[in-house]
Amino acid sequence: MSVQIENDPDTHAEETGIWSWITTVDHKRIALMYFATSLIFFLIAGAQAILIRIQLFRPANDFLSAEVYNEFFTMHGTSMIFLVAMPMAVAFFNFVVPLQIGARDVAFPRLNALSYWIYLLGGLYLTSSFFFGAAPDRAWTGYANLTLPQFSPGLNMDFWLIGLSIVGISSIMGGVNFITTIINMRAPGMKLMRMPLFTWMTLVTSFLLVTAVPIISVALIFLGFDRIFGAAFFDPARGGDPVFWQHLFWLFGHPEVYILILPAFGAISDIIPTFSKKPLFGYPIVVYAGILIGFIGWGVWSHHMFTVGLGPFADSFFIAATMIIAIPTGVKIFNWLGTMWGGSIRFTTAMLFSVGLLAVFTIGGLSGIMHASAPVNLQQHDTYFVVAHFHYVIVGGTMMGLWAALYYWFPKAIGRYLDETLGKWHFWTTLIGLNLTFFPMHFAGLYGMPRRIFTYPEGLGLEIWNQLSTVGAVIFGLSGLIMTWNVIQSYRKGERAPADPWGASSLEWALPSPPHHYNFPNIPTVRSREPLWDEEERREVEGVTMAPPKAEPHMPNPSYWPFLLAASITLSWALVMTGIWWVIALGMIPTATCVFMWAFEPAFPEGAEH
Amino acid sequence: MTVERIEKAFLILSAAMLIAFLGALFYSSVAMGMHLPGREGEIVPTDVRNTPPFDQPGVHEVGAGEYEVVVLGRAWGFEPSEIRIPAGSRVTFISTATDVIHGFHVEGTRMNAMLIPGQITRLTYEFDEPGEHLIICHEYCGIGHHLMYGRLIVEEGS
Repeated sequence: MSVQIENDPDTHAEETGIWSWITTVDHKRIALMYFATSLIFFLIAGAQAILIRIQLFRPANDFLSAEVYNEFFTMHGTSMIFLVAMPMAVAFFNFVVPLQIGARDVAFPRLNALSYWIYLLGGLYLTSSFFFGAAPDRAWTGYANLTLPQFSPGLNMDFWLIGLSIVGISSIMGGVNFITTIINMRAPGMKLMRMPLFTWMTLVTSFLLVTAVPIISVALIFLGFDRIFGAAFFDPARGGDPVFWQHLFWLFGHPEVYILILPAFGAISDIIPTFSKKPLFGYPIVVYAGILIGFIGWGVWSHHMFTVGLGPFADSFFIAATMIIAIPTGVKIFNWLGTMWGGSIRFTTAMLFSVGLLAVFTIGGLSGIMHASAPVNLQQHDTYFVVAHFHYVIVGGTMMGLWAALYYWFPKAIGRYLDETLGKWHFWTTLIGLNLTFFPMHFAGLYGMPRRIFTYPEGLGLEIWNQLSTVGAVIFGLSGLIMTWNVIQSYRKGERAPADPWGASSLEWALPSPPHHYNFPNIPTVRSREPLWDEEERREVEGVTMAPPKAEPHMPNPSYWPFLLAASITLSWALVMTGIWWVIALGMIPTATCVFMWAFEPAFPEGAEH
Repeated sequence: MTVERIEKAFLILSAAMLIAFLGALFYSSVAMGMHLPGREGEIVPTDVRNTPPFDQPGVHEVGAGEYEVVVLGRAWGFEPSEIRIPAGSRVTFISTATDVIHGFHVEGTRMNAMLIPGQITRLTYEFDEPGEHLIICHEYCGIGHHLMYGRLIVEEGS
């Protein structure tokens, strides 16, 4: 029973064509570009994983050389974290958050576009290392002092540290943008404790981004000075300390784990109530648990380093903190179960992925608690048991959550459903594939198979587990292809979706699918946590959101400076590889020019009030 | 705020589990003498081979049933590559690395330490059962990482 749309499409339509995409500052278009780009990187890094698994299928295999194998596992990890899981979450931040809080765009639309272009160009720069025969080959953790020039000659690790530095800029700017958007741009009545959980978790994640990512940036800059300018931050032969790198890396690396998982938690906290037809069980507790995870996440990093020998006091502290952080996560799991309890559950693909996350992520959570205990940790450190653990968490948690989000918000973004039959195929191949790939790794690890070995000898009892894993990886690879096919097909000719296809409760579903480029013709007022589940409030909201705009909505100007600035930032960083000071200095000129031009470009049309 | 009875039970149960876990850890480290790898001191990594005790890597008997094993990790092997000790002995490993970070994982035990250039790491363990253990480098150390292993043989005691 929605209000008729009397919007004249001609007066408010947005331009199309390549140029409009390059210059766009519309958060919804940027979201689509983020998603498409991360999907492509997902397929590349996934293909690397399958080649890795083929190499490990047989003992003493020579399908890949040790050199190529090392490049593949390094780039697989680096890409999956920095070019797939994080930006794919940002794609959903971009699309969903302004719609959920009743805003017309993010706080800094051009900065948002800049984030995207830096991510794209930084990712391409990192991946282009393959074409120079110099792909990074020192693992995604890049432990010093193996990464110093005397042990890693060549450009391989320069590509890695500069590529990640570039991509890091994009993450930090994204964090700033979303914090500002969520704090400042909520519709009237959208109090903090009325925000949908996805927006809440975006807020927590954004705080983690602006606090954690600078740490890795600093570490990478130190490493860059060591490699390119002969400094000695991590060189023990000249008084540096390689353990210092590990502290910096994991001080970033552990909050990073929560940067990866919290968006998925946020998404399913919106999806499970929708398909259970019940409000989220214990809403404030879920919010507080999320915030608590964000805080305690800072106090657990050294559980990656029990073998270093930090001393009994430090070890005990990190054991305790690691066990404690399991509590808020466990609380959330029970809240989701409580939400489903007694609800009328519809198993759409989005719901299947959410429930799948509960089951599979919990397995990863349990092996995580096992690691928390240092004596157990010592037996598992850097074995395949750890590989099993973090793939259960990242694939079974983050990726399942993001795919749930994909099936849930795709109709809103495109105006068409993703095909549900293909979706169920995608879900079941994912569930079977990922368990078959990663569960046997627990056993391979307990039998003593270390990580990052390019092959293993016969007769250690490792064959069967590796063969199962490889079969699973092929099935899992298939699921990725099914999803990609589904996205392409449904984008072109999927079934048309109405404004509120799932009967959900939050503001974005009060808009047509896809929404206008200005999102809200008029800004609604919110009176409760589930505005669309109250008959009266829904009428009020839709009376505003489905009506033609009262005044012409003033949207920010399109701009090509974000693209140019991103290109020149990438160039400036790439020139650091030369190590020649005047080339590097000259390389900063385009960046400075673009910043200057950007500053003097009017962000909004002449005379617009906003 | 009212808390339901069953919810309260859950809260108490999880708190009790946490205390039990931490208690078990405390007990194992205090009463059972379980040791984590500890940082013993610093060393100039370029001059390891001239610095005692690393000028003589190998097994040294220091007392009745007490052994000290000096271990060096380098790309890509251990020195000594084979360690023989009698069953029932208490062994202290004193270790470092000459080039990059390596791992020292004695399979089938909870002995696992990073060998870090510039840092001396100490580990203690009691070998009761005779048998053979593989020593594995768990820390990725470059192209020959998969070739880096050694053997620890616990011989029938006298």
